[in-house]
Amino acid sequence: MPAIVAERLMKHFGPDIRAVDGIDLSIPEGQVFGFLGQNGSGKSTTVRMLTTLLQPTSGHGQVGGFDVLRQPGKVRQACGVALQEAGLDELQTGRELLALQGRLFGMGGDHLKARVNELLRIVDLEDAADRRLGGYSGGMQRRLDLAAALIHSPRILFLDEPTTGLDPISRESVWRYVQQLNKERGVTIFLTTQYLEEADRLADDVAIIDSGKIVAQGSPAELKASIGTDVLTIGVEGSAEATMSAAALFRQMEGVERVQEVDGALVVYVKDGARAVPRAVRLLDDAGITTGAITLAHPTLNDVFLRKTGHHLEAGATVPAAEVRT
Amino acid sequence: MNLLISTFWLSRRAFMESVRQPWLEIGNLFIPLFFFAVTVGAIGSLRDNFGVDNFIAFQMPVAVLQGVAGVAGSAGLGMTQDIQRGYFDKLRLTSAPPFAIVLGRMASDGFRALILTLIVVVVGLLFGTGMEAGVFGAAFIVLLGGLFGLSYSGIGMAIALRTGSPQAAQAGFLLFFPLLFLSESFVPKEFYAGWLEFLATINPVTYVLQGMRALTMDGWQWMAVTKSLISVAGIGALTMGLATMAARWRFKGA
Repeated sequence: MPAIVAERLMKHFGPDIRAVDGIDLSIPEGQVFGFLGQNGSGKSTTVRMLTTLLQPTSGHGQVGGFDVLRQPGKVRQACGVALQEAGLDELQTGRELLALQGRLFGMGGDHLKARVNELLRIVDLEDAADRRLGGYSGGMQRRLDLAAALIHSPRILFLDEPTTGLDPISRESVWRYVQQLNKERGVTIFLTTQYLEEADRLADDVAIIDSGKIVAQGSPAELKASIGTDVLTIGVEGSAEATMSAAALFRQMEGVERVQEVDGALVVYVKDGARAVPRAVRLLDDAGITTGAITLAHPTLNDVFLRKTGHHLEAGATVPAAEVRT
Repeated sequence: MNLLISTFWLSRRAFMESVRQPWLEIGNLFIPLFFFAVTVGAIGSLRDNFGVDNFIAFQMPVAVLQGVAGVAGSAGLGMTQDIQRGYFDKLRLTSAPPFAIVLGRMASDGFRALILTLIVVVVGLLFGTGMEAGVFGAAFIVLLGGLFGLSYSGIGMAIALRTGSPQAAQAGFLLFFPLLFLSESFVPKEFYAGWLEFLATINPVTYVLQGMRALTMDGWQWMAVTKSLISVAGIGALTMGLATMAARWRFKGA
């Protein structure tokens, strides 16, 4: 049985805003699932629907075998959730917050005490446990939020952009812990992110969501392979006209599947990139166009994202790409 | 997860919030005691005090309700802070029944109102209110203050849940002033102009004041005491209804 299921899940805010527009998901138990998309693409809305915080406009969702609309209590018992903003009460201490979360899941006594201590140790907050949360740094609050999501030892964990705003060291420690939870305890993890590296490193399977729709899904390797070409990025010096002319030349070049302009450079999807580089340079030379920096790369998730959505994905911002029409 | 147990833990947490911000409670206590002293000083020295024998005792319930409204008004403010910082969602993601999140805060307000009433009653006794209904009468006034606080907090809670705005939630406290001043607050309503006497007669706050005054000045006047309980229950039914509707709206995922 899949751990998480979404069938034609939809959330509209008013007649015009389709935050989530009929998505289907089936995530097997024990998987780390990466949900990749830019800000406002529908990631958090999907998480809120699947975790019972938001009623879908239509469609169905199941978490841990329980229906999100008909069995919300059981869904909440089955899953732990760390939302995008670490929602904490700044007047409580870390220990008090975890203990209250545990009590509201029906825990108590020595078992709760031991669990709180265990989680504080895991997220490296033992020394700060009895300090009020108002004095915690952003990274400490994130780690505590993660611990709070795990207090009742859920089988499924939703992490909504868990490392956004964290410094690289804190990010690395969250990643390690997510991997550990998955590998050692078999926890199914639904991870939304706008960091390609995060999805690439942690996720067994990735879905790319854009404007409320899933535009690609598969393992990172499958998605990269789906591009079927290498990615040649060529800087063109001179006017925009020179860039347009270069794009037109590349379109006619053998093995080229697609050409996009991104930030003044041309991104050329071409088969057998190593052989294509000298041909590309010669082509531009012959046309009298001055070549700038050239890079050749195998496809990354960024290329997949760009191909599927027409945007680069960067943390906190997206860079629009223009299809070069000649 | 049991509603009562969840409500207990959540009210404990809300109460601790107040303990950790004592200056808020000091403000809630200072303002009514200040007005109590000023009103008694200004009107209480008038000749024959509108036929009221013990004007300090007459004014003590006004100070109680003023303080209790201040306490209850902060419930909505606390809820909006929880909503804005995302802690409300964190609580909703637990196994606690959703209404426990609302009831927990309101129960904490009721308890805080009870403590504040006790302090005002003790201050009143020290300054000569007397207590014709004895210790049990005083205890009943304290209970009535707590119940009024619980009931009144529903207004701020409803506004907080519906708007999520601290400014709007604070307006819940401001609503209390017309209710208080359009009741039999400063002098017996027979001395009011006709329109004001009518408004004071239909205002449930008048009967809460009369119940407390009866216990302080006349002893166990059952009719007045019953009317005060019915008035608090009526206010509670209305505000709880509003809070429930707002909570349902919020729980749908506003």
